[in-house]
Amino acid sequence: MDADNRIRQEGGTTAREATIDAIIGRRVTGSVLPALLLAACNRHQSALAPFGAEAASTRTLTIVLLVAAVVIAASMTLLMRHAIRTPGERLTHDQGMKLVLWAGGVFPTILLFALLAASLPLMRPAPVSPADLRIKVEGEQFWWRVVTAPGPGQLVSANEVRLPVGRTVAIDLAGGDVIHSFWIPGLAGKMDMIPGRINTLVVRADKPGRYRGVCTEFCGLSHALMAFDVVAMEPAAFDGWMAGQRGASATASAAAPGAALFARYGCGGCHAIRGTDAASAIGPDLSRYGNRATLAAGILPMTTANTAAFIRHPEATKPGVRMPAFDHMPEADAVAIATYLQGLK
Amino acid sequence: MTDLAAPADYVAPDQNDPAVRAVQEDRLRAVWQPPSGWFFRWTDVNNNRVGVWYTLTAFAFMLFAGVLALIMRAQLAVPENDLVTANTFNQLFTLHGSTMMFLFAVPMFEAVSIILLPQLLGARDLPFPRLSAFGYWSFLIGGVFVTGSIFFNAAPDGGWFMYPPLTTRTDLSGLGADIWMLGLSFIEVSSVAAAVELIVGVLKCRPPGMRLNLMPLYAWYILVVAVMILFAFPPLIAGDVLFEMERLLDWPFFDAARGGDPLLWQHLFWIFGHPEVYIVFLPSIALFAMLIPTFAQRHLLGYPWIVLAAVGTAFLSFGLWVHHMFATGLPKISLAFFSAASEAVAIPTGIQVFAFIATLWAGRVIWSTPLLYAVGSIAIFTIGGLTGVMVAIAPFDWQAHDTYFVVAHLHYVLIGGTLLPLFAGLYYYWPLVTGKKLSDRIGRTAFWVMFAGANLAFFPMHLSGLEGMPRRVFTYPAELGIGGLNMASTLGGFLFAAGVLLVCIDMALSPTRAKSPRNPWNAGTLEWLAHPDDEDWGIRSVPLVTSRYPIWDQPGFVDRVDQGRFFLPDAEEGRRETIITSVIDARPIQVARLGMPSVIPMITAVALGSVFILTTYHLYWWALAGAVATLAAVLTWLWTTAEIPEKPCKPIGHGLVVPLYLSGPSASGWWAMFITMMADATAFSGLLFGYYFFWTVHPDWPPPGHAGPGRFWPLVALALTIASWAATVGARELNVRGAVAAARVLLGVALLASLASIAAGLAGPWTSGLVPSAHSYPAIVWTLAIWTTAHAGIAAICQGYTLARSLAGRMTPEYDADLRNITVFLHFLLATAVATYLTIGLFPELRA
Amino acid sequence: MRRLVERIRRLSVSLWTLIVPPTVWAGHFLFSYLWAALNCAKAGRFATFPTLYVAGTVLALLLIAAAGAIATVQANTPGDPPPHEQSTDLDRLRFLAVATQLLAVLSAIGVVFTATPVAFLTDCR
Repeated sequence: MDADNRIRQEGGTTAREATIDAIIGRRVTGSVLPALLLAACNRHQSALAPFGAEAASTRTLTIVLLVAAVVIAASMTLLMRHAIRTPGERLTHDQGMKLVLWAGGVFPTILLFALLAASLPLMRPAPVSPADLRIKVEGEQFWWRVVTAPGPGQLVSANEVRLPVGRTVAIDLAGGDVIHSFWIPGLAGKMDMIPGRINTLVVRADKPGRYRGVCTEFCGLSHALMAFDVVAMEPAAFDGWMAGQRGASATASAAAPGAALFARYGCGGCHAIRGTDAASAIGPDLSRYGNRATLAAGILPMTTANTAAFIRHPEATKPGVRMPAFDHMPEADAVAIATYLQGLK
Repeated sequence: MTDLAAPADYVAPDQNDPAVRAVQEDRLRAVWQPPSGWFFRWTDVNNNRVGVWYTLTAFAFMLFAGVLALIMRAQLAVPENDLVTANTFNQLFTLHGSTMMFLFAVPMFEAVSIILLPQLLGARDLPFPRLSAFGYWSFLIGGVFVTGSIFFNAAPDGGWFMYPPLTTRTDLSGLGADIWMLGLSFIEVSSVAAAVELIVGVLKCRPPGMRLNLMPLYAWYILVVAVMILFAFPPLIAGDVLFEMERLLDWPFFDAARGGDPLLWQHLFWIFGHPEVYIVFLPSIALFAMLIPTFAQRHLLGYPWIVLAAVGTAFLSFGLWVHHMFATGLPKISLAFFSAASEAVAIPTGIQVFAFIATLWAGRVIWSTPLLYAVGSIAIFTIGGLTGVMVAIAPFDWQAHDTYFVVAHLHYVLIGGTLLPLFAGLYYYWPLVTGKKLSDRIGRTAFWVMFAGANLAFFPMHLSGLEGMPRRVFTYPAELGIGGLNMASTLGGFLFAAGVLLVCIDMALSPTRAKSPRNPWNAGTLEWLAHPDDEDWGIRSVPLVTSRYPIWDQPGFVDRVDQGRFFLPDAEEGRRETIITSVIDARPIQVARLGMPSVIPMITAVALGSVFILTTYHLYWWALAGAVATLAAVLTWLWTTAEIPEKPCKPIGHGLVVPLYLSGPSASGWWAMFITMMADATAFSGLLFGYYFFWTVHPDWPPPGHAGPGRFWPLVALALTIASWAATVGARELNVRGAVAAARVLLGVALLASLASIAAGLAGPWTSGLVPSAHSYPAIVWTLAIWTTAHAGIAAICQGYTLARSLAGRMTPEYDADLRNITVFLHFLLATAVATYLTIGLFPELRA
Repeated sequence: MRRLVERIRRLSVSLWTLIVPPTVWAGHFLFSYLWAALNCAKAGRFATFPTLYVAGTVLALLLIAAAGAIATVQANTPGDPPPHEQSTDLDRLRFLAVATQLLAVLSAIGVVFTATPVAFLTDCR
């Protein structure tokens, strides 16, 4: 709650230290065993804690379906118990057939038809107008290329999706290498990212805050470690953020020693930083890296130490990662690069 | 049958005379004597023995896959665990799913049916005992090959549905993908073989009098499920072909950069995958349909309703596959059709369950361990079914899809719909196979342990899924707050395993227990004629059946069977025999001579297995040698079939005299050919679907820069195929009219036409320079041409074989089964050729 | 009319006639899928009142109704008291006819279920 409010107040731009974010992806080993159900209530990655219109209506549907399922399962169990306990010959052949016809045939047919008819309108995606914001997201092993408002003045980023609340947003999804699936449980259902195809997911966020999305189609070794941050912002704050982000991001720390090391180690061969020579689109775009709450696609908290460690041994965090290891790099250099990157805001 | 008469000197045996009966029994015993010796005992083909091997092997695979699951649950017990690596974990879940589906659920149904079906139908054995043996050895070889890979860290790791491009890109996936594709393709072949066996068994091996309306419901379900296998497995085989072409030869069927589409695999896989769910579920319902009347001590209510439900489910289950693809971005209208069918399929299932409830209600229930398992599994299955209705609703599925909610759903369905029912069947039928009952005490304890374990393991998964836990993750962050749920699932998993262990202990203790009486449950159906000290002959005499529950309803039934008072009480000629009857009304039409124990099925399975296994390791020349060996083994095997009997007919008792040889549509061999070709044609339509699927995804087809194979060569190939077909049909007609020489000439002509059609069929893509690795269009054109010409090659072999049979005197105008059977093949070849050559030759022209 | 009923009763039944209604359902389902897939893939849209689709659906329902009507007549062939579980031609006919009749009802429901989405979803998104 605290974090949500802060984002609202501060326009989301400096919210990276918000408390909930800090715990996203923190690696805690040997955690205590919490009570079964009490623990099961995260608010940033759950279909049961919606912050968008689609997820909210699906949650209502879920509750209705669950209640109906419980009622039906319970009555079936009681009926079976009754059937077994009834002494023989109490039910004639004709009565038995009536039971099969009505309870086994007619009643389910009516119920299922009603369910079908009720669910079909929910399948219709919300209308999209050309003026609506589009976000293009491409899944790669094991990170997300995010292009907000593709076209002139587009904003390229990675592993973080920002969107304004109260506005319809069309998210165009594609698979870069293999099939991934884009799922923000609190916002809407999932949609696959398939090489050679573009799928569009239409969403509308209703509640500002920081959330988390994950890949749900098995995509290789680190499928489990492919997540991303989602920031829903008030419209005005979002517009301000967009305007602020478009410019070069390196101004603050161009003189940092890490900048030279970044170039010397050839990081620009894969990564881009707006406003510098690094412009490759092979790996995640690192512009304004320091603004992100997590690194390695929603896996580690954004700290210098984590960044430096990831640069030298990415496969230790993410098995099968496409980024080569820089184990020959002195730790000091890695820290310098990490400091430089974290300074990009 | 009116023209048949017993020989003049024939005297019907006097079944009242114990001495006569003893002599008959000695003869039967001698004929059905199993082979002995440390090696030759494995060459047995008797369904009683092969069925037991099959069942035990499938059970062992189940235990193996269960252990894999326990390792996974241990890894997921706490967040951020590092018990196993991501690499190992991916192999674990892939192999767990693949083994449970391909090496346990489907083979187990076939195995149990191989044991039960002849008993249920009062037959001595299934119509093709050697085919069962071949299926078993294939299953064993393929299964060990696939599961063994994990000990070499080379197991498949792409998930049990192996979505490309992750699995087809050789830089992203290793040998495991090939092992999965080729190893399981091999097993699919054996599944189809078993399906052929079971269909012919149900349709042609029923006892006299057992018309369609008297068939035990188990047989109805077997028929329905086997037919489903016939239409469900071949699309996957077609998919496997495309998949391996891409992996081994770089033909880009699923590579979007070169005109392929990963979704094609998903379609082909799920056209198989969804019916598969019902293929493993319906046999369990079939077991219920046998044991519920027994414990309700009355006929099952609503026999036609159950048949309706079985047939209806089978059909509807083929209209559900896209509900596994709800998140792939297909047009919502397409999704909605499948959502609608997925809702509708619940209707027949409801009818099935309520027929059981009504039967229990109307009957006087005898409470027993098998019934406990049956009722408990219906309860678990109901929960799985209800969540199934939920995920059939697309908007809900968009949230639940590929999360632990689906994991929960499918395990409820499979545990309630397959595993626990099998345990019900185990406790019910154990006395039938071993003559001893299992322990009620251990059985009930095991049930409650498993019931609690299953719910503790899988119920929390519903919640962890909705709380954002995707499936197939080797770890999850603690902050999701699902650590407790996962710990519960792990505890439940181990509890469930403890229950399974109890069942295993119960089975292991069985040899120490006393024999139970015959028909210990007082059941009414034929299989309970089995005697605790059973003979290998299956049934003493083949009964005349006039009721659905003959042991209950037909007075003196058991004694009459035992005293050989029904049909075929003897084996005068020292041959294994069973009665073949007509499809609808089960009138006896033939006494079929069955295959004796032989090493040939095993050799054939080894040879065919070597083709698949050697291909996995890219040892193509060795694989080719294996293929030649397979062909040689098959031809050797075939040469012994359809033998001309020493006399045209024989008396089977009660004044009935039936022929020993049949050909054409009334013969079981003809049916086997027809059914096999249905499967083959279905696989072909999978490939053809691929062609038109690519057409729909490409705005221009053929794509610019890729000329088609032209019109000339495809049409020439088609003309040659038509010539081959016509010559074969002509040979059949001439042969039956006695013009043997002319028939042989025509067969020779047909053989040459087949061979020429191979050259012409390949000439189209060859001369037009289509490069299959360049784009999906040339690749699919080549694939269709190769498929069709390969079949022309098989046709040539068939024609040559039949010619040789004619020359060797093993096929005559009167005994012409070979020629009639290959004509069936030629009919299907003709249809395949028409579809292929018109598609590749004319389709691009038509749209231009 | 009575003569018609008599002729219908004499029509032969088999496993093939049993599966006529569900086969029609399967055909209609395939037709639905192809109709939507081809329209969306090749034209990008389909008409708001799709005449072709409605015609196909009505045709499927008529075929199923016909199969069901024939089966109903056959199921009510007089003779043999219930419970119709004998090994006689009549009971076998009646069994197959009843099963066909039930399958016709299920198939008709299936067709209606399948066709319902077209009333709700009118574009290719």
